Amino acid sequence: MKDKIKIFLDSDLLEKYLLGTTNAQENLQVERYIAMYPQVRETYDELQENLEAFAKLHAIKTPEGLKQRIIARIKSEHVGRKRFFRYAVAASLATLLFAGASYFFYDQNQSLQEENEMVNNKIQLLEEDMKERLEDVRNQFIVLNNPKTKKYNVNGNKKAKELKAIAYINPVKKLSYINVSKLPNLPENQCFQMWAEVNGKMVNLGVIQEATDKEKLMALPYAEEAVGYITIEPKGGNETPTVENIVANIAY
Amino acid sequence: MSTLLEKHIVELLQERNEKAISLLYEHYGDTLYGVANKVVRNEELAQDVLQESFVKIWKKSDSYDPTKAKLFTWLFRITRNTAIDKLRSRNTKSDKEIQMDVSDVYNLGVDSIKPELMDVRENLDKIEDKYQVVLEALFFQGMTQQEASDELDIPLGTIKSRLKIGLRELKKIYGSPMLWILVINLIQT
Repeated sequence: MKDKIKIFLDSDLLEKYLLGTTNAQENLQVERYIAMYPQVRETYDELQENLEAFAKLHAIKTPEGLKQRIIARIKSEHVGRKRFFRYAVAASLATLLFAGASYFFYDQNQSLQEENEMVNNKIQLLEEDMKERLEDVRNQFIVLNNPKTKKYNVNGNKKAKELKAIAYINPVKKLSYINVSKLPNLPENQCFQMWAEVNGKMVNLGVIQEATDKEKLMALPYAEEAVGYITIEPKGGNETPTVENIVANIAY
Repeated sequence: MSTLLEKHIVELLQERNEKAISLLYEHYGDTLYGVANKVVRNEELAQDVLQESFVKIWKKSDSYDPTKAKLFTWLFRITRNTAIDKLRSRNTKSDKEIQMDVSDVYNLGVDSIKPELMDVRENLDKIEDKYQVVLEALFFQGMTQQEASDELDIPLGTIKSRLKIGLRELKKIYGSPMLWILVINLIQT
């Protein structure tokens, strides 16, 4: 044990520690020796005394004004520190604010993007719808304006005497339209439905709404020797026409 | 100095009371200035070193642990390291003119003329040069005994014995009441 202490004391580590030139690992070692061995502690204390005494022998009177300069510098450091903290707090707040704003704008951007997509879809749908309608209107114009177009007056049978409709058929352009101008009143639970028999197949053309369809031409699928029918069906329309309820037919 | 004063200063430091710096300067300023000057060998530079050291002392004051070192030891470490750093940064600039200035200033200014240092000089003179050299190498230049032996071209055994004698002489000086009076005088002036 004594050898260990002697080796340690001979190693200069304690002197290096005294001057603060030891590394972190050496510091731990020296501090352990000082704590464990009173002889090392004693030597260390003695070294400290010697250092102070020897240093004092080299004391030089400090020049005038240096103290004031140092105090002033330290005061400014102190203030600087306070200022630093103030800036730090301000910076933190700014960061927080920025983060909040960023999130807000991100969120807003996201919902705007969604909205944009929706609007785009709508526009596309409208465009398609418009094209379709325009095409329809064009066809109507062609049919109505064409000298080859034949005009048929359609009258209802005894089940619907008041029914009046006009069909326009153009075999050259292969287009046909019907305009239902007058419909007899039906009970609440019934409606008129339009059909066309094309190449032996019955095609559902939909329920006729008197109010809105009065001014409108309904397109009929064109075929050679097709027959259009109007039937009375339960409200909302039927999947197949009720043959005994046929009120009008248009052969074209 | 008295442990009571040390304690008081340490307390002030820990409270981050600026009065601590004032007290430290009053009681250790001259010694630390001497230490800085001993390393950089230029009074102007030593003033810079002292200023920077005090700033470091102030900033690091919460890292001082009284159980690990005496207050002076801690102050000494900071000052000496600051001085060595200063010297290094000066030397890396490799300004030879400045180095010449350094030696001039050192010769004229510090060593001889200042009358208030004469008492201390006398005391220092009581220690023979050959012991002083070893003490300086150890305390100021931070050499190990082996390094001092190599540097001064003196066998290690001789270094060890000179160190022992030097320290004994030192103890004689600062153990005598004369020195205390001198040191107190020095601090009060």
